[in-house]
Amino acid sequence: MIAAIGLLIGLLAGLLLQPDVPIWLEPYLPIAVVAALDAVFGALRAFLDGIFDDKVFVVSFVSNVLIAALIVYLGDKLGVGGQLSTGVIVVLGIRIFSNVAAIRRHIFHA
Amino acid sequence: MVADTHPEQPALTPGSSRKTAQQPPPQAVMGLLNYITETSLDEDYAQVSEQRRRSGEVTPRRRPGTVGMAVLAVFGVLVATAAVQTSRNADQSASSRASLVSQVNARADVLDRQRTTAQELQREITALGDAQLAATTEGRSLESRLNRLGVLTGATAARGPGVRVVVDDAPGAKSPKFMVQAPDLQKLANGLWTVGAEAIAVNGQRLTSLSAIRDAGSAITVNYVSLRPPYTVSAIGNPKRMGADLLDTSGGQTWATLQSFGLKFDVNTEDNMLLPAAKRVAFRYAHEPERRP
Repeated sequence: MIAAIGLLIGLLAGLLLQPDVPIWLEPYLPIAVVAALDAVFGALRAFLDGIFDDKVFVVSFVSNVLIAALIVYLGDKLGVGGQLSTGVIVVLGIRIFSNVAAIRRHIFHA
Repeated sequence: MVADTHPEQPALTPGSSRKTAQQPPPQAVMGLLNYITETSLDEDYAQVSEQRRRSGEVTPRRRPGTVGMAVLAVFGVLVATAAVQTSRNADQSASSRASLVSQVNARADVLDRQRTTAQELQREITALGDAQLAATTEGRSLESRLNRLGVLTGATAARGPGVRVVVDDAPGAKSPKFMVQAPDLQKLANGLWTVGAEAIAVNGQRLTSLSAIRDAGSAITVNYVSLRPPYTVSAIGNPKRMGADLLDTSGGQTWATLQSFGLKFDVNTEDNMLLPAAKRVAFRYAHEPERRP
């Protein structure tokens, strides 16, 4: 419940304020969102597993976002930014899929 | 094939893998993709709950607190910002596309204007050249020679009396036998040359020494332009004799035979016809004529 409220507040704040993304940050925003999505689905699964922990969630969220952005930044500097982002998206995508599969098993017992 | 990560699965938690040091770590033996799917849940969750259970802390089901709410709010801001940014960029790319389109249109207008200017200048050049030639006696004789050669080569438009031959497929023709073929048109054109035609055009395509009448698929092409039946072959020459003489040539006899198959073959004399110039005579070989002393 409290999580849903937090998510709603964040979405509304983002939509109403429409913060301007600095131009140097723009390429890292989408990958950061995907990394954050992975952390959120992981947290939801942990919650359903009964092993959720606030601290772990915060740390995994922040580190996911930062590492994803860092990898893309490093890739941009090395000239393989596009390929590295693809790699990050593939790994995070697989994780999201398997986490969602586990969540589905919890909810539907199937 | 996705397995739940249970806390009691010893091989997957880093702490327990360190204890059984003889076994290689799971990521070394599982393969990358399997490892990613196996450890899709952060191992820290399992580890922390393990620690908590060992220390005897009893909490039946843990829920996200204020910190979790704050992090989710940040997540919401991130998602909303990314969405807003993407839609804004879409607007930008649409407007840049529109500006490109307007640029293309403006350039096309400029091109049109410049083509018109080029045509005007070309006309001016021709007029000036004619005026120059008409100024001297030598020039006048050169001009008449140029005109004569221009008519023969197709470089200039030709006007004069002649015959107009209209040929067409037999009505309701199904087999190529009853249709006009390129060789038939070739024979007709050659027949007209034989009886003294000075200039010939097929459906407005002037025949030059470089023209070819050819079959291209189901169409006949002249000067690489596809023509549709009926074919109008206009020839400038003596209108009184050309029509009758044509029937004596082999081309005329071919067409007399074709006429008996039902193909249309009409010869009419015309008092005044205008045959357009050939599109462009590309010079492939030229040399300066020897000057007479």
